[in-house]
Amino acid sequence: MSQAPQLPRPLPLPDKFTQFYWDAAKRHKLAILRCQDCGTFIHMPRPLCRGCLSSNLAPHDTNGLGTVYTYTQTHYIYHPYWADKAPYVVALVELEEDPSVRIVSNIVECPIDQVHIGMPVEVVFEELADEVSIPQFRPRQSPS
Amino acid sequence: MSTGRKLAVVGVGYSPVSRKTDLTVHETAYLACKTAIEDSGLKPAEIDGVAQYGFPFEMVTTWEVSETLGIGELQWYTDLSGTGPAGITGVIAAAAAVASGSCDACVVYRTVSRAGGHSGGEGSRTAPKAVGGDMQFSAPYGNFAAPQWFGMYMRRYMHVYGATEEHFGAVAVTQREWAALNERAIFRDPMTMEDYLACRYISEPLRLFDCDLPVTGAGAVIITTAERAKDLRHRPVYIDSWAFGTGPRPDWFQWPDMANMGSHHAAPKMWQRSQFKPEDVDTAQVYDGFTIITLQWLEALGFCKFGEAGPFVAEGNTRLGGKLPTNTNGGMLNIGRVHGISHVIEAVEQLRGNLGPRQVANARVAVAANGGGPTAGCMTFYRE
Ligand SMILES: [Zn+2]
Repeated sequence: MSQAPQLPRPLPLPDKFTQFYWDAAKRHKLAILRCQDCGTFIHMPRPLCRGCLSSNLAPHDTNGLGTVYTYTQTHYIYHPYWADKAPYVVALVELEEDPSVRIVSNIVECPIDQVHIGMPVEVVFEELADEVSIPQFRPRQSPS
Repeated sequence: MSTGRKLAVVGVGYSPVSRKTDLTVHETAYLACKTAIEDSGLKPAEIDGVAQYGFPFEMVTTWEVSETLGIGELQWYTDLSGTGPAGITGVIAAAAAVASGSCDACVVYRTVSRAGGHSGGEGSRTAPKAVGGDMQFSAPYGNFAAPQWFGMYMRRYMHVYGATEEHFGAVAVTQREWAALNERAIFRDPMTMEDYLACRYISEPLRLFDCDLPVTGAGAVIITTAERAKDLRHRPVYIDSWAFGTGPRPDWFQWPDMANMGSHHAAPKMWQRSQFKPEDVDTAQVYDGFTIITLQWLEALGFCKFGEAGPFVAEGNTRLGGKLPTNTNGGMLNIGRVHGISHVIEAVEQLRGNLGPRQVANARVAVAANGGGPTAGCMTFYRE
């Protein structure tokens, strides 16, 4: 691994259903699709509402607050980008506005042994190459 | 279970299963099906149904198997791929097909290649620059593989029920005891709890010894009617019931309660359809792609209460001579990841009663179960 060239973090490859999510991230918002007819939050992005089958869906800018539902510390190197970063945390964060929506995140600005289930977190944005931003969560600093 | 015609499993077999082999996946599919057909006493021309479950990169189609083995004119066939609960997916499909009269004798197989193994198989070492589909919400975070997902399920299970790492270790240690009794097992040396706890993490709390063993190989099963089974080679093993389950949200990360799995939805449905109850079961062959899945199946199937499978295993209930001998071939942790069709084969062989040192005395009812996370399928078998 040490001789492999340093590869960048894999980027998201947006499609017609997910472009809004990454566009929102670029302006530092965590947007989730929401059904305009029944209010259901839809994640992963889909063209139909799971609650009522409506296709009248629109991105909703969330408040970016959440809670760690579960997490793991990955030691195995699945991709060379993480060769010098393991172990690293992969967490599922449930959103305050609808806990049935879970976002995959690393927990940043936090020692790896401080991450715990139930930890209040808030979204921040990590800038990657080519003007791509990804949502990340860090321990909540703003009063909730 | 009112399924239509009464069903029997009449043939089972494996190809060679190993970590390093010159055999192609095609050869393993053909050899496993040949072994199962010869085990049954049926002639290839008497088989009129073929089913398989496989992932695209290691799939051998029902056409290829039929043409190669001289199976001939098919009345029913299906190539299943992707979301099902491992090898039992095809077995349940074949059972439904024979029960309904769509075909009379069906061979079903699962072929795996080592590259498909998720705990260090070659297939897991890719370095994509950009990732689409649902994985675009995971890959940028280094979230790529099943051991990470089950690491998260394990963590939630520990949080909700107070399970410990030793509870997962008890599954690995106990199954290694069984593997010592199985000459086909790849790992047979004794394992202690100290060995387990000293083993490296893949995705904490999930360790290498929580993962099944990537191999190349295949397993096959033949299902026909009880009527046709009467004059075949083995005492028939009958199929009692089956069920699939996904839970309310078939999605790895949006699945509502990650202290449970699809197993908790499949198992109660199966018992509703069964003539048996959990306490009637003499041996259980439950999925062990990761040790957490084994614990969850033991709870879902009603062999112990929710959150109590760890102590249940640690107290010796799943050993030889225990209350519920479980994964009696050593499981996929030790025989290799034949992706669950091995659990069906072991259930059938236990009910035939000729397994030598690992035979469960007077086994009459056996459960086989596959799948973890949102995907689950289970079956009950019996002899008369
Ligand atoms: Zn709706």
